[in-house]
Amino acid sequence: MPPSLRPLRWAWRVVPLLIFGALWHLLSHSGLVDPAFLPDPPKILAALIDLLRGPQIADNLAITLFRAFTGLVLGGIAGVWIGLMMARSDKFRAYVTPIVGGTYSLPKSALIPLFILWFGIGSVTAICAVFLACLLPMIVQTFHGVRATPQVLVWSAEAMGYSQRDILRRIFLRHALPDIMTGLRIALGFSFVLAISAEMIASTSGIGKLIFMYGENGAYDYMFAAIGCVVVVAFLSDRALLALTASILRWHESAVAESH
Amino acid sequence: MRNLTPKIDIRGVSKSYPTDGGSVLALRSVDLAIEEGEFVSIVGPSGCGKSTLLYVVGGFLSAEGEVLVDGRRISGPGTDRGVVFQEYALFPWLTVRDNILFGLERRAMPQAERERQAERLIGVIGLKGFEHRYPRELSGGMKQRVAIARTMACNPDILLLDEPFGALDSQTREVMQDELLRLWLDMRKTVLMITHDVSEAVYLSNRICVMSARPGQIVEEFKIDLDRSQPRETLFLSEAFNRVRNEVWLSVRRQAVEHAGQHAA
Repeated sequence: MPPSLRPLRWAWRVVPLLIFGALWHLLSHSGLVDPAFLPDPPKILAALIDLLRGPQIADNLAITLFRAFTGLVLGGIAGVWIGLMMARSDKFRAYVTPIVGGTYSLPKSALIPLFILWFGIGSVTAICAVFLACLLPMIVQTFHGVRATPQVLVWSAEAMGYSQRDILRRIFLRHALPDIMTGLRIALGFSFVLAISAEMIASTSGIGKLIFMYGENGAYDYMFAAIGCVVVVAFLSDRALLALTASILRWHESAVAESH
Repeated sequence: MRNLTPKIDIRGVSKSYPTDGGSVLALRSVDLAIEEGEFVSIVGPSGCGKSTLLYVVGGFLSAEGEVLVDGRRISGPGTDRGVVFQEYALFPWLTVRDNILFGLERRAMPQAERERQAERLIGVIGLKGFEHRYPRELSGGMKQRVAIARTMACNPDILLLDEPFGALDSQTREVMQDELLRLWLDMRKTVLMITHDVSEAVYLSNRICVMSARPGQIVEEFKIDLDRSQPRETLFLSEAFNRVRNEVWLSVRRQAVEHAGQHAA
């Protein structure tokens, strides 16, 4: 596509969103649903502008992001470590596999009531829920990437005089990096879901609590406006992670596909 | 005076792999002594365990029997033995220059000297201008040049080559063989090469060992005494070259046919 048509391509991406908004508007005025429960887009927009003028959105979003990212970082570090150990130690894998397999399909939000008992209402409970949810995709992806390391790369490094410890970090982890970044992308999505779910159940602050509160009070235009803010922030975080991944994986085959 | 200790002494090496239906014997009691500065090739039917032997000498696989280097029993991989694999084994996340520096990193020299050495090796393999490319941006021949340079960077006494040119097209393979020959004539390192290409073995080696089908044993040896200063064309068209090439080829062929016969029976 010639550069002069670039803005058009962006316009085409907006079209589905406009159609979605139009359908929403029509549905809201169709009489099929009570317009009090489904406010039309102009009302939501007005609520959004009102919200953005005040500090609620920014303050609560900052709290939620803090919880989501803390859980993500802790879960990421622990997940990479556990995945690496599982891939390299048969003994460790034998112990951990049943636990990982057992908790893999468990919805982590089911554990939030338990965390409330342990840690009370607030950040620790939310961070724990995020941590657990992020842990599993990180373990699975790291394990897969480390196990797929070609034997000849390890042998080459051994013949050059590198220790097993060096090889763990500089060969196995480096080889697993594309998979780890995939795991991180999955975990990023989970981190928002779990942080907000935990806030709805057990918190006095955060965007999840705000959404829940507006819903309880029947302020649906404000509720949808807050949800819209979460969608935008989650989308931008995902894009930022993708850009970061592309820049650190320039050596990887996947970088070819993206540059064309 | 001749040094009585061989550079590499392979003594009664046997190797078996566990499989679902018991264990498979890959090597049976292989004995082979390689003198310092010798270029020895091992040829044989595919799947005969010749690469397994190389991995045992590299110290990557443990086996029955023993392998001595300079009279000392090896217990694992070491920087005295550099390896070049068929599939290049470059680190895909490092550029050409960084792959070579990775090989230099463990050598006791100042960083500036390492960087100079890397420059020099990039020049030797003719990849000036490609220093900052990643392996995926290189052709097969270029990748193998980098792999050889990275191995040379460690300055090993012994080169272990596992079908080093097997994945290259025939033109590139010939160029690489000439480069390896030149390198070997210059440095006179001890080389153990695995190949299935009989002409390649005759062109490069002092001695060729023919291995039987699985379980691999060395069944025949050929001393090659050719004038390496001749150009490739002269050598390939000479009677001496072709006579020994045919002898080795027939020997390998016998092993392959016997193996096929065993399976038919």
